Amino acid sequence: MSNVIDQIESQIAKLSSKAVKKNTGTIRTVADGVAKLDGLSDVMYNEMVAFPGGAIGIALNLEEDEVGCVVLGDVAQLKEGDEVATTGKLLSVPVGKALLGRVVDALGRPVDGKGPIDAKETYPVEKIAPGIMVRKSVNQPLFTGIMAIDSMIPIGRGQRELIIGDRGTGKTTICIDTIINQARINKVGLASGAKDFRPVYSIYVAVGQKQSNVVRTIAALEAAGALEYTVIVSAPAADNPANQYLAPFSGAAIGEWFMENGMDALIVYDDLSKHAVAYRQISLILKRPSGREAYPGDVFYLHSRLLERAARLDGKGSLTALPVIETQAGDVSAYIPTNVISITDGQIFLETDLFNQGIRPAVSVGLSVSRVGSSAQVKVTKQVGGKLKGELAQFRELAAFAQFGSDLDAKTKAQLDRGARIVELFKQPQLNPLAIEMQAAILWLLQKNYFDSIDTKQVVAAANSLKDYLTTRKADLLASIRNEAKLTDAIEAGLKAAADEWKATFAAKK
Amino acid sequence: MRAAKKTKLLAKQLFKLSVVNGAVSAEQVAGVLGWVEKTAPRQPVTLLKLYRGYIAAELAKSRAIVEHAGAVTDATLKMIEGAMTQKYRRVVTASAKPNPALIAGLRVRVGSDVYESTVAGQLATLSSAV
Repeated sequence: MSNVIDQIESQIAKLSSKAVKKNTGTIRTVADGVAKLDGLSDVMYNEMVAFPGGAIGIALNLEEDEVGCVVLGDVAQLKEGDEVATTGKLLSVPVGKALLGRVVDALGRPVDGKGPIDAKETYPVEKIAPGIMVRKSVNQPLFTGIMAIDSMIPIGRGQRELIIGDRGTGKTTICIDTIINQARINKVGLASGAKDFRPVYSIYVAVGQKQSNVVRTIAALEAAGALEYTVIVSAPAADNPANQYLAPFSGAAIGEWFMENGMDALIVYDDLSKHAVAYRQISLILKRPSGREAYPGDVFYLHSRLLERAARLDGKGSLTALPVIETQAGDVSAYIPTNVISITDGQIFLETDLFNQGIRPAVSVGLSVSRVGSSAQVKVTKQVGGKLKGELAQFRELAAFAQFGSDLDAKTKAQLDRGARIVELFKQPQLNPLAIEMQAAILWLLQKNYFDSIDTKQVVAAANSLKDYLTTRKADLLASIRNEAKLTDAIEAGLKAAADEWKATFAAKK
Repeated sequence: MRAAKKTKLLAKQLFKLSVVNGAVSAEQVAGVLGWVEKTAPRQPVTLLKLYRGYIAAELAKSRAIVEHAGAVTDATLKMIEGAMTQKYRRVVTASAKPNPALIAGLRVRVGSDVYESTVAGQLATLSSAV
């Protein structure tokens, strides 16, 4: 016990012998979550500033005779003349595996009521993105579990792929499906005990969303067993704009920890349109000069410095980013969408018309692209789905022309029939990602024309029947596709036998 | 009333004129005030308020306010003056200001820098660390 007393006394002695230097200032004005401060002559850009009552702020505007500071916390207690002090620290958030399965706010504080987070490390929220020399090209796939995406617009580990579309077109659903698919792959991979298996941990950043939507997302992830591999950073619409501005950067810091420590991570920014709006609000209150659509001049830099932090590092891990942008009336040429399109390595464009026609996910093949391309695909997908994008694009073009004329030649009619079947086959219910081996098996059957004799309206039912058949009866075949990741003669023979057997049973059921 | 950019610039120029050899000159300040009265520039009240702010901030850099909870001797004030003059490389004069809320110890303020060695400050540090 005396040892404890000694420790306390030595602490007191240490404290009493030392004068602490602080750089202080006073509040001149507080409005809309932004404080203008006098003094603070030594404050650094982005430094944390301590306000009375425990609130903290970040110095964002360093001017000749005042400091503009966003306040993260309750501003109701602050008043003119209150003393503030610099902390000498940049804003940091807790990082590490302790955050998995948890919901945190923009500052990394738990908001899920599951108690404190036992994080051993913290990472700065703002960090310079990895340079050229430490990066490695993207050539490892990251499966979304959505057949239309994995076969035509593949995403690689370390890539930035934009999900863009109007409201209610299924942007969040694609992200959630990807997180669920990664969790399923993690479970299978970790259970197999394979030494070279690299799990992908997910970070979902909700910016400016309704609390009810965030709750729904958490419930979906929990129900699918994906929450244990996921960190959720929540800055809902009711949160102050400063937190909404910071949340994606906090999420990036959490993801960077996985990347720096040799692990792979996926981060979803849902969405960056609202993030830009929050930043615009802060900038206008800070009286920064406004530009196009009243956004500040550095709104491009805001998103580029955030998305550049996603990378695949040589000898370390990777951070894949899926930023989401909401368009207005399908206008991809608006300010923020064009900015983010130019920063990312491709985009998945979701069309309202397709969505309303019941084609879900409503991926527009013509406007969607992955600049990483087939280097992020496994061989089996290339073998079975190499020509799909061209066929589908041709189908859309022909379908548009076919509306004007009634007489079609046999070749055009065959192309239209095949295209219609591909469209039907790519329909997929939400929260139901498909394993890559299942996708490969279905696409192999499509490639070998097994669906040609099935009525277009029956294709979805046939695909469901095929999935059931393969899952229940051909688990070994699926496992060998997964392990080999390419079509060998043995696998093709197995697929042919399985396809013939399934076709017979499906025809008999009809 | 919001200060116009030109008024801010003028206040800054007047402030620069008032500083001679790194210190505020009373003579120069009197001259500036006379000029303002004579020429009546735009937004005179705003101009003078801004000018006052700059002068006050400059004067605060040369003044060490020593807040204390117990007695402070002249020797202590002299010692603080010497240390601060050396640190800031300008003549700093110290003045005592009693503050019983500190419980014990000293708090020295020079410009926007605060040197805290008080029991109240240590208790605050401890409470935030717990």
